[in-house]
Amino acid sequence: MKTFDPVQMAIPFFVLAVILEIVLARTGRANARYEARDTAVSLAMGLGSSIAGALMAGVIFAASLWAYQHRVFTIPMTAVWAWALLFFAEDLTYYGFHRLSHERRFWWASHVNHHTSTHYNLSTALRQTWTGGVAGTWLLWLPLSFLGFPPAMVAIQKGISLVYQFWIHTEAIKRMPAWFEAVFNTPSHHRVHHARNPRYLDANYAGVLIIWDRMFGTFIPETDAEPCRYGTVRNLASFNLLTNVFHEWIGIGKDLARSRSAREVLGYVFGPPGWSPDGSRDTSRTLKARWRARMARNEGQGAAERGD
Amino acid sequence: MDKALLIQLLGSAVAVSLLVAIAAWARIARPTPPLDAEAARALLAVEFPDDPVDALWIAADGAGLVARSGERALVAWRRGDSYVARDLPWAAVLVARPAKGVLVLKAADGAPRLALDDGEAWPPPPFLSREVAA
Repeated sequence: MKTFDPVQMAIPFFVLAVILEIVLARTGRANARYEARDTAVSLAMGLGSSIAGALMAGVIFAASLWAYQHRVFTIPMTAVWAWALLFFAEDLTYYGFHRLSHERRFWWASHVNHHTSTHYNLSTALRQTWTGGVAGTWLLWLPLSFLGFPPAMVAIQKGISLVYQFWIHTEAIKRMPAWFEAVFNTPSHHRVHHARNPRYLDANYAGVLIIWDRMFGTFIPETDAEPCRYGTVRNLASFNLLTNVFHEWIGIGKDLARSRSAREVLGYVFGPPGWSPDGSRDTSRTLKARWRARMARNEGQGAAERGD
Repeated sequence: MDKALLIQLLGSAVAVSLLVAIAAWARIARPTPPLDAEAARALLAVEFPDDPVDALWIAADGAGLVARSGERALVAWRRGDSYVARDLPWAAVLVARPAKGVLVLKAADGAPRLALDDGEAWPPPPFLSREVAA
């Protein structure tokens, strides 16, 4: 079977879609915001990510091939059932990768730059990591080849998933039909994922199917009462490209330099983003806890004022 | 370098430049009018929801603010069409000295440049009142 790279094939579509979104927003026919420097960073990161990916491709392919040579089963690349099975298996792998990339700082350091834009538009989709290869998240896909899926098949499915995830980075689409929202990752679900509101933190890790979030308790629906605010909890102070790429790695390095114990080293590297030995920094969990306390306080005050 | 790869890279760079130019042409960034007291408090409520504001100062161009919350300074400044927010020790803000009408504060990962009115002293009167200092 002839192989292909879905992402490479989709690049002209990406370009045209971004232009279309800008033009529709410019003419008042779609809800989208673009800031030129923010867009420049997003697109430059996409370009740089392609180069970084090409540099790592040999290593990743060699490792996949090695895993495939030690496979448990032999799964035919031409069978429809094999593609159906891989679709679910790859999407579940993506969920795991994505959750890890948000909940543990070492992998967050390579993924955070996808979230540093304060905008949510199609250019944000292209704001991809340069350091994912170094962070080794590609290892998570090796079990698929070890199971018996040919490496090329896995690579194609990964590409299809990435292409799918492009169109959901938009504010132009409010909601898809209910059945679609129930099963698939959509612009609404993924807006929540990119939001920095405490209510929405660490949610909706899905790639293509939102069912994984529903199954594993990480699904949070978008609510019109609280519009999404995009970016990271502490928005970056700079449009500098290299700052965007490396700031969390630099942060880890600084923290390690002042670590005083193995516990601190492990916490700073593999703890949740924001972990600190004395708890003086915010993690998603502490931010959410404070948000819940505020909500409870406000509800209590509201009830008291109503005389409930 | 492989010629096809080079052409692909150059083509991508041209496409990136074109898209950025179109984004700039479209002028569809978020509107960010100068902060007034209401907008400044709304911004603080979002960025520092648990911190009471004792006193507030807004930069002359409306592109930033400094608020006192106990012994902490809550600082926010415009970056593009959004805001960046950081907190600093209050003492560090008080001892900062403006130069040529600009106050530069030093946060861990940024240095907001806040405009002062002509002849405006730092710290400004709201930060010097006895109630706040108490």
